[in-house]
Amino acid sequence: MRGRRIKGGSAQGKALVCSTPLSFLGGVDASSGKIMDRDCGARGRSVHNSILCFPYGRGSTVGSYAMYQLKLNGKAPAAIINRSAEPIVATGAIISDIPMVDEVDTSVIENGDYLVVEASSGTVELKGVNERHVVTCILRHGTKVLLLRRSNEVGSYKGHWAGVSGFIEEGETDIEAAKREIAEEVGVKARTARRHIDSKSFRNSDTVWTVHPFLFDVKTTRISTDWEHDEHRWVSPSEICKYDTVPGLEAVVTELLDGF
Amino acid sequence: MHLTRAEERTLAGEEGHSRQKAMELLVALGDIYGAERLIPISSAQVSGASFKTIGDAGIRWLEEMGADGSASVPAMVNPLGMDMRRWRSMGISPQFHAKQVRIVRAYQSIGLLPVYSCTPYLAGHRPRRGQHVAWAESSATVFANSVLGARTNREGGPSALAAAMIGKTAEYGLHLDENRIPRVMVEFESIPPELIPIAGYLTGKVAGNRIPMVTGLCMTPDEHKSFGAAIAATGAVSMYSFDAERPKGRGARGSYNDRICMDASDVKRCAEELMGGSDWDLVAVGCPHCSVRELRRMASKLKGKKPKKGCDVWFCTSRKAYAACPEAVSVLRRFGKVLCDTCMVVAPIEELYSRTATNSGKAMVYLPTLGRQKASFRTTDQLLEVISR
Repeated sequence: MRGRRIKGGSAQGKALVCSTPLSFLGGVDASSGKIMDRDCGARGRSVHNSILCFPYGRGSTVGSYAMYQLKLNGKAPAAIINRSAEPIVATGAIISDIPMVDEVDTSVIENGDYLVVEASSGTVELKGVNERHVVTCILRHGTKVLLLRRSNEVGSYKGHWAGVSGFIEEGETDIEAAKREIAEEVGVKARTARRHIDSKSFRNSDTVWTVHPFLFDVKTTRISTDWEHDEHRWVSPSEICKYDTVPGLEAVVTELLDGF
Repeated sequence: MHLTRAEERTLAGEEGHSRQKAMELLVALGDIYGAERLIPISSAQVSGASFKTIGDAGIRWLEEMGADGSASVPAMVNPLGMDMRRWRSMGISPQFHAKQVRIVRAYQSIGLLPVYSCTPYLAGHRPRRGQHVAWAESSATVFANSVLGARTNREGGPSALAAAMIGKTAEYGLHLDENRIPRVMVEFESIPPELIPIAGYLTGKVAGNRIPMVTGLCMTPDEHKSFGAAIAATGAVSMYSFDAERPKGRGARGSYNDRICMDASDVKRCAEELMGGSDWDLVAVGCPHCSVRELRRMASKLKGKKPKKGCDVWFCTSRKAYAACPEAVSVLRRFGKVLCDTCMVVAPIEELYSRTATNSGKAMVYLPTLGRQKASFRTTDQLLEVISR
């Protein structure tokens, strides 16, 4: 995964994941390094030598010094990974010499994952976990969007409803992959994408799926599915919740259609 | 963020450890806030000077920075936890004193000016309109942006120190025109001048993180000082605009989606809610630090009167103002302690007192939290009456 350098340096170790924003003042005990915060799902664990992952920091500006105290006590984490850095934790990481990266989706990291952090280049490697980049294309005709049911021949999410989707192949950009998949799976020649939103990542055991969503307007409802799907329907977006879909499809459609 | 070659060299550590750290801080914060470059500043003002707020970790960090770093622009410091000369009479413990002295030595070794005040514009450097500075004290930041027309974000302690050492800050937030536009109109009507700190207290609450356009208050510089301090304490905003009399034309008024009107009864109601009890062990004025004019005005009101026994009294000010009006100071000293370098917000007041009365809207926010006090608001004149006969 690629993020942004906040404080350079390298580190590796096991991930300690807090699901909620963390305050170092009151949220982490400076002498033991143990997490005190009740709601973050990591209470009682020590941050010492961990790769500490949380969405972002919160609380008093004195929190920067609380991180420095943790360092002086020899209980600092080996590195910090945030979804979005704010000044208190960023300042604390810099004054305490803790490598730090942000703009990484911490929700895909699980406790105990082995992480290799190269903070200077902003890279975070999840050992033993594959990251797969896929496109998901929502085809729209009028007010209806196309849902396809994944056949029993495919490798994942058999029987689930999805948009046109597939792997981004080596050397291919996401938009190229999107057009190729549309041609292969439904036999439609797509022109320019109507909209492209930020990719979404989610974790499924040893795989992080990073989905690149696209919206395409098509002129016809006549499509021809290939072996990957056994059924298709044009539905209104509000009906998607009634279908057994691949994870996060409804949210992606909602975001793609927002304002369009 | 785009860095010059010289800045890149600093970041790579070619000018030493402290300057590298300082540059790392500026660059990281600049990136977080979307700044494109660093801009030169004419002064810095650093917060995090009381042992009470920064603790042992703060001392160690300042000593680390002082090992091979020095300020490259005039830089001042926020109030300390004690008066450097009269700390014993304040009741400060020798242990606290020893820690505080280490902090002061560390700041001096970095080359910061020995100005320990929340009013650097009265006690140290007064920036001109349009000048960029990097100040940390919230009330000073508001005064610089709103009254002086200078430009600063509310820096954190470490980032202000970094700016002092590099002589630059990242260009974002209030350094840019587009972020200095008022977004909410707050209209006051017939507010008694002694309740202006409460008007600020209310303005900060309704403004939240939006710059308010404040109308209907005709304020002296001292009143701006207490008004802005209260705004920055209750709100998350480091600037207000004001038009003493009325906005120019209808269009100026109509361009605000959100308009809030408050009259004397609203402000009086809030002041009453903040009155609390009347059995205090401390009366504290000077948040922000008293100006020379304020010290003289209080002295002239108290002249010829006798002190009333009962609670302790603190008049907090800057060492520069203290030195500028020895006659006023000698009058005030009959009624209480005239303290420099410190104030009721950052001194370890919880170890000395438990019930404090103040004339400050800002102190009414921090005394109950940081100072663990039962706090009471009174106007300056009410407090002067209480302490004299």
